[in-house]
Amino acid sequence: MLISCNKLKQFIKNSENINWETIWNTFTIRTAEVEAIEKKGYDLSGVVVAKIISCENHPTKEQYHVLRVTDGTEECDVLCGAPNVRTGMTVAWIKVGGTIKDFTISEKKIAGVLSQGMLCAVDELGIGTDHAGILELPDGFPLGTDIKKLLPIEDIIVEIDNKSLTNRPDLWGHYGIAREIAAITGEELLPLQLLEIENNKSDLDIKINNNDLCMRYIGITVDEIKNNKTPIDMQIFLHYTGMRSISLLVDLTNYMMLELGQPMHAFDKRVVKNIEVGLANNKDKFTTLDQEERTLSDEMLMIKNGNEYFAIAGVMGGLDSEILDDTTSVFFESATFDAGSVRKTATKLGLRTEASARYEKSLDPNLAMISMKRILYFLKKENPNMIISSNLTDVYANVLSEKEIVLSKELLATYLSFEMDSDQVKKILNSLDFKVVENNDSYVVTIPTYRATKDISLDCDIIEEIARIYGYENFEKKPLVMDLSFEEYETIWNEEYKIKHYLATKFNYNEVHSYLWFEQAMLNKLELVKENVSLAENKENRILRDDLFLSLLPIVKKNLKSLERVNIMEIGSVILDGIDKRHIIAMLASDIEVAESSYYEMKEIIINLIQTYKKAKVELRDYNGFNYYDESYSKDIFVKNQKIGSLVVLKPKYASYVGKKKFVVGLEIDLTSYLSISKERINLLDASKYQTVELDYTLIDYNRQKYEIIESILASFEHEIINSYKLIDNYKSEDMDKYTIRYIVGSKDHTLDGKELNEFKQKFISYIKEKGLDILV
Amino acid sequence: MKEKIEQIKISAIQEINACLKEADVLNVKAKYLGKSSELNEMLAGIRDMSIEDKKIFGPLLNITKKELEIVVDEKIEEINNNVTFLFDETKPVYPKKGSLHPITIVSKEVTDVLKRMGFTVFSGPEMENEFNNFEALNIPSNHPARDMQDTYWLTNKELLRTHTSPIQVRAMMKHGAPIRICAPGRVFRNEDIDASHDNTFYQLEGMVVDKNISIGNLIYVMESLLKEIFNDDISVRLRPGFFPFTEPSFELDSSCFFCKGAGCNTCKNTGWIEFCGCGMIHPNVLKSCNIDPKVYTGFAFGMGLTRLAMMRYGVNDIRLMNSGDVNELEKFEIE
Repeated sequence: MLISCNKLKQFIKNSENINWETIWNTFTIRTAEVEAIEKKGYDLSGVVVAKIISCENHPTKEQYHVLRVTDGTEECDVLCGAPNVRTGMTVAWIKVGGTIKDFTISEKKIAGVLSQGMLCAVDELGIGTDHAGILELPDGFPLGTDIKKLLPIEDIIVEIDNKSLTNRPDLWGHYGIAREIAAITGEELLPLQLLEIENNKSDLDIKINNNDLCMRYIGITVDEIKNNKTPIDMQIFLHYTGMRSISLLVDLTNYMMLELGQPMHAFDKRVVKNIEVGLANNKDKFTTLDQEERTLSDEMLMIKNGNEYFAIAGVMGGLDSEILDDTTSVFFESATFDAGSVRKTATKLGLRTEASARYEKSLDPNLAMISMKRILYFLKKENPNMIISSNLTDVYANVLSEKEIVLSKELLATYLSFEMDSDQVKKILNSLDFKVVENNDSYVVTIPTYRATKDISLDCDIIEEIARIYGYENFEKKPLVMDLSFEEYETIWNEEYKIKHYLATKFNYNEVHSYLWFEQAMLNKLELVKENVSLAENKENRILRDDLFLSLLPIVKKNLKSLERVNIMEIGSVILDGIDKRHIIAMLASDIEVAESSYYEMKEIIINLIQTYKKAKVELRDYNGFNYYDESYSKDIFVKNQKIGSLVVLKPKYASYVGKKKFVVGLEIDLTSYLSISKERINLLDASKYQTVELDYTLIDYNRQKYEIIESILASFEHEIINSYKLIDNYKSEDMDKYTIRYIVGSKDHTLDGKELNEFKQKFISYIKEKGLDILV
Repeated sequence: MKEKIEQIKISAIQEINACLKEADVLNVKAKYLGKSSELNEMLAGIRDMSIEDKKIFGPLLNITKKELEIVVDEKIEEINNNVTFLFDETKPVYPKKGSLHPITIVSKEVTDVLKRMGFTVFSGPEMENEFNNFEALNIPSNHPARDMQDTYWLTNKELLRTHTSPIQVRAMMKHGAPIRICAPGRVFRNEDIDASHDNTFYQLEGMVVDKNISIGNLIYVMESLLKEIFNDDISVRLRPGFFPFTEPSFELDSSCFFCKGAGCNTCKNTGWIEFCGCGMIHPNVLKSCNIDPKVYTGFAFGMGLTRLAMMRYGVNDIRLMNSGDVNELEKFEIE
């Protein structure tokens, strides 16, 4: 929102005490954020009031006039291309040596005429956009006077961030901003000038059907409006604050909106019959002022006139009731509509207007009356002979009266962390127009209605008022008192970080972040149908992922364009059976030639991870899950008989999605299951102090069975001196597989002798042979 | 015989000393001290000798053998101590390394600071219910905030959380007061994606509820946090803000890290960067979470973690964050 400092100055007594350029830093930290400050008119100089003494056509160039101009002391010739010049006209003359936007005017010979300066149009003065003709000044302006002394051309325009005014309906007009500045600086706010109405005529026919949606509706009619020309200073103000000047009647309604924040409407009285505020019928059509036909719904509040739609309440008027050039009688509307209703209507129609923006903030119904009296005040200034032809008709069912809030001194002291002197409390609140009665342990604060519609309803709202005017920069910074018995409520995040750090540093995996939903194009390509929770009312119908691995395939595919091998990880949410679950994924895509080593890399990661952080063993069992994974290579991961996740290999048919001849393998682990595994402690007492012996045996399998069969044979060979065994070598020839197994044997209470070792060896050999394997001795 | 032994000893020592490799030494050792060596045969012949000879040659042979063994060991040690390496030490090395996502790195940094102030890192689901995301946070159904935050509603009537604040609700419901938590997390808004907007991004939430928590506490914690994160002499400014779940609410600005407050493009020439929203927890929020606002007060703050990571690393396109582009993401150093 754009704010004119000239306008603010009119509302504050002794406004010269305020530095209007720097006050905005303070305003930002006390009230609302100022986004920009722009000085207007300071680059204009040497423009004076002048009169055209004579006006002649240029002898050859018919678009030009040769003018004789006087500023009361000197006469000069000025060449002018504007069509609206005439003898006797009062104009703004920039003389030789004057500047416009840092451009200095010099004597110039144009079309054979030596032109001394230039007559200005409003756009050249920077106070409007019109360039159709030069600016005509009122006749009473004294000749030779610097125009900047007569018109508010020099101004400071401040842009306030609308977002920071969301909860402050009172700040959507200049008067409210002036009130804040007065409170911040301790200066005095001046009262508004209003026109009081006698109300000795008859009421207008105004009816409100929905008092909850239209809290107040004030109407009045005025006749004999002969002057519909907007004063120049008002035009300048409108231009500086971003509005286009149209005519006095239209401009005045905008003027009220900018001054007070109250949207108003002027209808041509000739079309007004009776006013009814009520809901629209579903699917009715209505053409708004901007000539767009709109489709209505039965949630939209409308102003109806003689049963015809007249305006969309709080949003925009209709084409039929527009103020025309020949309008001399007018019906003014000043009303208060429900914020939520206006917001919904504006959103639904895609029609956000200056009016709706203000209504959405919850306006004070009492402002509607002030606005009405003030617009009449201005109208009368320009039309002293106007006739008020109706009563000021006010339909106001539920009057909003001032409310009291009790603020306990203790609560105030808690929030502030110090006890503020009660005189200071009262002074701050009074400066904001809050009335205060002090009791022993509390203040009873009366809230002005313009702050009570939305912003202020609780004691802590009043604390905010006191704290911000006191100044947040004046607060003492207080450290928290640390209670060392505080323990962590949960360690999930820490664990997640540990796992990610482990995968990144030990196995060189790269962490990625991906979206919570499947890429639909990928599912289509793979001809996979996923049924899961999805985004509602979304064009793309995104299905939330139930499988982190699958959802990462597009990322793998993208990376394989530049990398031969992609190894990534993520800890993210999946939605499984309607529940949000955190999954850990480590994923590797490589050429199919190195499938085995890739697979074993994954196997190493899971075993290593569980060994490192849980001191437990991993068991891989048959896979039970999605059918796009290879059923023999994919495994479910069990730790202590609990399933914690799966090691999955994408079927070649699907793997081709990421690239030709690629092998894609991954670990997907449920974080909660992982966290639920208790960590084993290593018991050093178990360690024997007696020496152990390594025994290597090479087994030969002519039946070419998988190692897990060999493993199961080894696992069931029990002997008291076995500490551990492991596969240390594996050799495949044409007709046999050889496995070298290393046993570590030892005793807890003595060093084994040759006899014991030999006995073990004989037992082992005969066991192995009994199981159909051969052994190299 | 004595001469012969002496002879053997001399030639053995000569041969040992001539060796350059450990294996050669071991060969010489085998030749002179092995089972079929002359010395060994002589030792074996001792039992046929006269007692006098035994007394002379027994010890002599044994001593010679010992001496030679020592020479062998010393030679091996000498060889091993003087190994010469034969490789080019000047070739480059390309270390294999994994990477953590910039968000993970930044959120670790921030949470580490907060942990030192006694905050627990808390978590919550990305799929939330309406109560936790809105109602409990004093955002009733007709509140504009529900429009302002374009919500992803789900087919199961739940939603994707639009901010990390529902984690506050969960923490208070579960643990009550006093409590001190922070929560980095992913949030979702129905927005079109461009260089500065994504529909999926990270926030970090913080909350303290205790007796006598004041605005002064909030300012202290926020300022300390920022100074720790930026290791820098930055200044902090608090100005009025508006959030339904806090009252009073503040916007916290930090002096611009790039221009140090002088004014630049990043701070739109104001010298300040909007850093996070914060405020004293609204009594209605405490009530919703079964905490008595007459007994307890508290403050909360929420910052854009994605934005912080972008500022920290000079990332100018938010789309990098969820791109999964390993070539780019692996540039982020693990700390």
